[in-house]
Parts: sequence; C-alpha cells; structure tokens
Amino acid sequence: MEFQAIVDRLRALEAPGIVSADEPRPANKAEKDPGRSGRPFLVIEPDKLVDFLRVCRDDERLAFEILIDLTASDPGADEPQLWILVELLSVRHRHRLALKALLPKENPTLPSATAVYRAAQWHERECMEMFGVTFEGHPDPRNILLPDDWVGHPLRKDYEFPTEYHGVSCE
Amino acid sequence: MTDVQQHTPSIHLSGEEPRVLPNGEREFFFDVSTSDLEVNMGPQHPATHGVMRVLLRTDGELVTGAQPHLGYLHRCAEKIGENVEWLQYLPYTDRYDYLAAMNNNLGYSLAVESLMPDLEIPRRATLLRTICAELNRIASHLIAYGTYGLDIGAFTPFFYAFREREWIQALFEKICGARLTYSFIRIGGVFNDAPPGWLKEVAAFCDVFEEKWREYYDLLVTNHIFVMRTKDIGVISAEMAYDFGLTGPMLRGSGVDFDLRRDLPYMAYKEIWDAGAFRIPVGRGAQGTLGDCWDRFDVRVQEMMESIKIIRYCLEVIEEGEVIGDVPKVIKVPAGESYVGIENPRGELGHYVHSDGGKVAVRCRVRAPSFVNLAVLEDLMPGTLLADSVAIIGSTDIVVGETDR
Repeated sequence: MEFQAIVDRLRALEAPGIVSADEPRPANKAEKDPGRSGRPFLVIEPDKLVDFLRVCRDDERLAFEILIDLTASDPGADEPQLWILVELLSVRHRHRLALKALLPKENPTLPSATAVYRAAQWHERECMEMFGVTFEGHPDPRNILLPDDWVGHPLRKDYEFPTEYHGVSCE
Repeated sequence: MTDVQQHTPSIHLSGEEPRVLPNGEREFFFDVSTSDLEVNMGPQHPATHGVMRVLLRTDGELVTGAQPHLGYLHRCAEKIGENVEWLQYLPYTDRYDYLAAMNNNLGYSLAVESLMPDLEIPRRATLLRTICAELNRIASHLIAYGTYGLDIGAFTPFFYAFREREWIQALFEKICGARLTYSFIRIGGVFNDAPPGWLKEVAAFCDVFEEKWREYYDLLVTNHIFVMRTKDIGVISAEMAYDFGLTGPMLRGSGVDFDLRRDLPYMAYKEIWDAGAFRIPVGRGAQGTLGDCWDRFDVRVQEMMESIKIIRYCLEVIEEGEVIGDVPKVIKVPAGESYVGIENPRGELGHYVHSDGGKVAVRCRVRAPSFVNLAVLEDLMPGTLLADSVAIIGSTDIVVGETDR
C-alpha cells in the first residue's frame, strides 16, 4: 500500500494517537518556504505510540511484522522538541511506514515498545544513552555502546565534549 | 552385568551421599559441582569476529544465559555525520561494515539522493554500482563462508575463500585504487568510469567463480561433519525473526521469502528481476529444522551464485555513457528527511538523513543490520551446549565495526 492508503486504513481503524501526516512539499518562494523533500512521515502522539504500534502489527491489511528502526533526532539546539523516529516494514504486503513522535526536550519520556516488538529493545537502549530519552518499562535500561559511567547524551545538539575521561585529557 | 554397573563410577551432584557397595566399600565418587559459572567470551576471541564480548552463564556444559556487550569499536559515526559535509562523510561509511564497503557507500548515496529529486543518475553509473555492490556481496559472503568453517574447525575452505576474495579485491583496486575502503560509489553516481577491459575481467571472474562455487558447496556446505555440527542448533522461527527485526540472510534462513532487491526494488533491480536474471534463496530446513544455523549458512552461499547472475545481466546491458550526474563539488542537499534501506550482505542497511538545506546533515542515523541481528543471541543461546555457542555466534555473521559504528 502507498502512504496515503496506509493512513486511510489507520484512520478507519481508529488507531490511537494520529496527529497529522508530514509529507514532502515543493518549495514556495512567495512564502519563503524552502519546501521539504524526502519521504512522508506520520506524526503520532508519543504516549500512544505503543498502542499505535500494536494496531499496525496486528491488523491483517497492514501487517507490519518488523520494526526496522527506532531512533531519535535532535533537530537543532533552539528547537523545543526531540523527534522519535520509527520505521516499520511489512513482509507480507511489501510496504513501509515511517512514524515520527515529538517529545519535549525537558524530561523526554515515553512508554517502551519492547512489549510489541522485541527489536525495539536495543534501539531504545541506544536512544536512552545518546539522547537521554526515558523509555518507561524497558526491561534492561543499561548503556549499550557507551561506557556505563559516561556523562551526557552525545547526540543532543547541546552536548558538551568532555575535557577528560578517567584522568586522561581529551583536549 | 549388574556387578559391572555397580562398580562403574558415576557422577553425583555435590551434597549427595555416596552409596555403599556390596563389598562394604564406599562407591568411587566424583564430586562434580555444577554451580553457575560466568564465562567471558571475548573481547579478543577469534569467534566473535572482532572486538565484542559475550558474557556466557553456564551450568556445566549447558549455556543458561548470554549477554552481548558492545561498544569496543564505537567510533561515533553518527556524531561525525552531523559535523562533516555530505560528501566528506562518505569515507566513514566504508568503515562500519568494512567487509562490504561498496554496499555501505551505496546505502548512504541512495539516502542522500532521495533528498535531491532533481538529481539524475546516469544509467551506466547505476549498472556499475550494481556490479560493484554484487561483487562486494560475493566477497563478503566468501568471508562468511571461510570464517564460519574456521569457527567449526574446517581450515581449508578459508584459504579457497580468500583466494577468490583476493581476486575481487584486485578488481576493486583497478577500478578505484583501494582494496578495502573504496568510497567509489558517490552521491550522484560513481567516482570514475571503469578502466578499459575491466568489465571483461569481471566476466572472466564470473566464469571461474561459477565453476569453483560448486566445489566450495560440496567441500563445506554438504560436508557430513559440517552438517552434523550446524543442523538443528540455533533455531530461529519466522515469528522470532519478525519479533527481533532480523533482515537479510538471517530472515531468509528462517524460511521467509523477502529480499529488498525484489520486494521494494531500488536502482535497476526491478528490471533485473523482471528479466528473470536471479532468484532469492530461502531456507528450507533441508538438513534439519527450518531456521537452524545450516539454513542461514546455505542461504549465504547460494546468494553468491545469484550475485554472479546479476553481474552477468549488468555486463550484458551496460553501455557507454556518463558515470556521474550533475553534482557540485560542495553538495548542498535540499531541506528534507528520508529513510532509505537497502539489501546489504548482512541485512537491511538503513540511513535516516535529515537536511536543513545546508552543507552538513542535521542527523545521519545508521540502521546497521549486524547490530539488530546480534540482539537475537540473548534468546537464542540459553539451552544450547557451550560447544555450539561458537557455531551460533558465527551463523549470525556479524561485523563488529557495524554493530558499534
């Protein structure tokens, strides 16, 4: 199914938490809009993300069996929100869906998707250490790539590089 | 007979009282305690294929738990991606899956190109990309073939695999000057045209490899000892593969017929598939349970042959022409965001790229197949024998440069 057909199906199923569709648009010089290229995303409320994923997985006509990717993005130091980005794939119907959830930068928290897709477990661990996002109910919330005592969240735009680590100067 | 049995030393759990034999002596007694033992496999262990540590919890010969510890090779690829220009990041992509650098270049280039709707990729560039990506897939699977044999204890196939891989590397050296980290596939096309006679050399390689492949198949894949070591262990069902988000040969080994090259085609793969040039090998449970280590291995080895067929098709239809589109020296990517996944030798390599219209990415996320495929170990290992753990880790075919990025 194409993106629009998937969104229509989700709306018909009354999937929880749909906010809007974030689709590419051409540039508009009169309104000084640079436009947006790339692929469409469906914007979801972060609190409802887990219930939404369950609908995506269990519906016969959507059948998103695989959670391909779950990550976050910090769009800029001045922006008030972090983005959670999810990529789903249906093997049976050969279609994809990209989701986006906006979270406040102050204390970003959302429920863990591990109960729906086990694949989310390591992606969420990476998100936690890199962006400081808290996934409530995560079974194993340890650092995965960084050392356990690392200070700060390196992929946040306001991250300050350390000057020393365990007595070794990094400058 | 009964006497013999009574005098046979038997293993007792500690705390159990030894029996008194009919002659009045106490039974010969091995006090074997089987408390839990934690064994560190790695970080420097040949079977982990890089710097990775698996913390195994064992009860005697039985593995009761496994916990992979990563991060030893973390080189901050995603952070670098936010700090260097679009084209400058390309050499870093070589370094996550260093056994399939062409495919990494391709994944990143396609992701960036998806944000540039005006950019046209010349047909010769697309076909050269396909040839290089498939050659690299063969080279990568040859390593998987050789090192898996090595893990199991078969030394010979490793040398044969490296001999053919050497040939592929020599071909790459001729086209781009590098043997491991190519940076050949660029945003907009490829770096330069193939030197004269290069395509003929690729055709010659295909001829020889097709012949050798059958020997390799018989040497290891259907070898009785190898089959006994790899069948019925590390079984991943299709549901489990879905749940853990496995892709590539790990998914197909479980009997799921899915390949991005056919099902969500990119570049010229739709045309190649429609021409009937290749098929998708899928695990069938031919030697044991469906989704065991043998099935995954068999899928990889068969894929090499399919890649040869794809290359042959490309060699047939390739024509003279431009090899790179109209790309400036300093690339400015239009504002936008996109996720693009391609079929790497190890599964789906995805790039999420986000541009604000400038020279540098806002976010450059890498969805690495090895990272995701490795997570299944935590569930796969409990209940297996310690001796099989190496076979199971080997069958996931990870590259640690990619898990840690």
